[in-house]
Amino acid sequence: MKVQEIERVILEKLPDTIFKRDETGKTGSSWSAVVAASGIRDAAKAFETSGFFLEDIMALDFQDTFELVYHFNCYEPGSRVVVRVLFGHDQVPPSICDIFRGAGWLEREVHDFFGISFSGNPDLRPLLLPEDADYHPLRKDFGKVSAYRKREDIYG
Amino acid sequence: MAERQIASPASQKIYSLNLGPQHPSTHGVLRILLDLDGEFIVKADPVIGYGHRGHEKMGENRIYKQFLPNTSRMDYLSGMIFNHGFALAVEKLIGIEVPERAKYIRVIASELNRISSHLLWFGTYLMDLGGFTPFLYAFDDREHILDILDSVSGSRLTYSYCRFGGVCRDVDAAFIDMTRAFLKRMAGRWADYDNLVTKNIIFINRTRDVGIIDRELSRQYGVTGPNLRACGIGYDVRKAEPYEVYDRFDFEVPTGSKGDALDRYDVRFKEMQQSCRIIDQALDHLPGGPYLSKVPQKLVPPKGEVYFAFESARGLTAYYLVSDGSTSPYRCHIRVPSFGNLNVLNEVLPETMVADAISILGSIDVVIPEIDR
Amino acid sequence: MEKEVREPGEPVVQFALLDDILNLARANSLWPMTFGLACCAIEMMAAGASRFDLDRFGAGVFRPSPRQSDVMIVAGTISKKMGPVIQMLWDQMPNPKWCIAMGNCAISGGPFEYDGQYAIVPGAHLVVPVDIVIPGCPPRPEALIQGLLLLQDKITRGEDRNLLRRFKRLGGEN
Repeated sequence: MKVQEIERVILEKLPDTIFKRDETGKTGSSWSAVVAASGIRDAAKAFETSGFFLEDIMALDFQDTFELVYHFNCYEPGSRVVVRVLFGHDQVPPSICDIFRGAGWLEREVHDFFGISFSGNPDLRPLLLPEDADYHPLRKDFGKVSAYRKREDIYG
Repeated sequence: MAERQIASPASQKIYSLNLGPQHPSTHGVLRILLDLDGEFIVKADPVIGYGHRGHEKMGENRIYKQFLPNTSRMDYLSGMIFNHGFALAVEKLIGIEVPERAKYIRVIASELNRISSHLLWFGTYLMDLGGFTPFLYAFDDREHILDILDSVSGSRLTYSYCRFGGVCRDVDAAFIDMTRAFLKRMAGRWADYDNLVTKNIIFINRTRDVGIIDRELSRQYGVTGPNLRACGIGYDVRKAEPYEVYDRFDFEVPTGSKGDALDRYDVRFKEMQQSCRIIDQALDHLPGGPYLSKVPQKLVPPKGEVYFAFESARGLTAYYLVSDGSTSPYRCHIRVPSFGNLNVLNEVLPETMVADAISILGSIDVVIPEIDR
Repeated sequence: MEKEVREPGEPVVQFALLDDILNLARANSLWPMTFGLACCAIEMMAAGASRFDLDRFGAGVFRPSPRQSDVMIVAGTISKKMGPVIQMLWDQMPNPKWCIAMGNCAISGGPFEYDGQYAIVPGAHLVVPVDIVIPGCPPRPEALIQGLLLLQDKITRGEDRNLLRRFKRLGGEN
């Protein structure tokens, strides 16, 4: 199964990755791994050579950290995996748009909504907001916000 | 396919043309900045965001129940399927049991919605290519579906029919009769559409070998849905990660071979017929019992997240809800299939002609407000 | 002759019968511009399709180009990025022109207007002068037809001046 195969490959490349299995089935994925911002490119290359596709890139804004969530999937049943990257509010994660060409627009959208710049992405113009927009709406210090929490409040 | 006469670089004059955002064939408010060399496209840059309404920020400022109408308005052609998916996502997050009858009713409504979405795509695609008659035929059939769903949910386009724990109103004998009459009517219509469109030489010439999206390109851009199945990969979320009662029905997942516009048309056509099969089986096995389980008025999910994927009319759609233990989500993200489907145009449109660009844009079936959220 | 009060925008020289005939012609052949932004566009298309035929009211010819159309049906939510585009299209339409705001989003922002929203323009009246509003989310095609008939009434200045209706009321061809 490709999912076990890719887990082995990731562990080889990034030995101190922590894998969290999902027993409840709520996350829709087999496992979720937290990698450092410097290791996301190696992980993405491993996924690309193994035949996975990039389903989604999403960002979360917590009080103490930013979180990027990458969903990878292949065309077999039940093979979705999640890779998370945690980094501070002033750090710049690397882009994977040369590995997965579809990541260009996904990173543009994340930049639009959160202001996260991706180093190596040649085109970070606003995608969904007007061209002259200088605000980042989904940050928790913009507009009407119900709560601004720390990451451990939610994920423990 | 026409041969491009490559002019020498010195005499090549690049002409910039703006397609949209107000255009009869862009299926919403899409703008494509084209660089043309004669009639051939050298560079295509889609500009989106003209329909951005801030659904994700709204999700953080609404309680779960209040977000239900938003879901229908994102992809308004598969509004019932999006509703269904959101109800399933929240039920998974909280752990609500759904009665059997409600499951079957939701599947019937979702498949009817899928047929109506494909019928509308069929009508508008042919209208883009220049034929107005299939549009009228498709909308006539579509009105029958809308009548059925209108009688039970009260709305023709943007339903809020599903609730957390079931559906808001039960179906009666009139619904079942109308649905069976519709299925009987459609059984005779496929031959009409075949004669009108599928065997039409002009249509075949405008769609064969046009806009080929092969497997590698699909994988790079995350293309899903009928566009992916047209290039031979039979990936359908209803079969890969069965939800609701889809594993109890016997249906096929049609695939193409080449990934051109004609294959995409064929796949969607056959999908409509398979949806009719699912509805038939669901009506045969519709159980009795309650249609809505008891759910507390104030929904407070436990802390955590849920990522629920389902198959909308356009491909793999997913709701990602992060709950912080309060009545509104901390983050409400929707993964939409049209994002990847449109993204791939950056690479498919160059080296085609403008007329082919319209054909390609119509065949990938994007709904722009879904991308813009 | 009695000096009647002139409404703002009304021309100084008025040809009563000719005006009425011209208004009748304009009202019964309104050519809408295809301007669907979001969900209401589908109901507009359904109104132009086979069941709720708009062509029998003279309004079935949807023109893509603003320079060839009479009425702009703003169907859908206006995002902030789209506002200048609507302004430009309205300016490109030749006079006489009218605007119908279809759907709750075009009237007041609809379900997307909440305290603290950043993304939409809450209402088409903030961008173009609106003549008729059609509420609904989305309004049924019959509602769009009713709105169009109201616009026809507005153009022909009501029952009294509408020659065709007067003719029919007096027992003309039924």
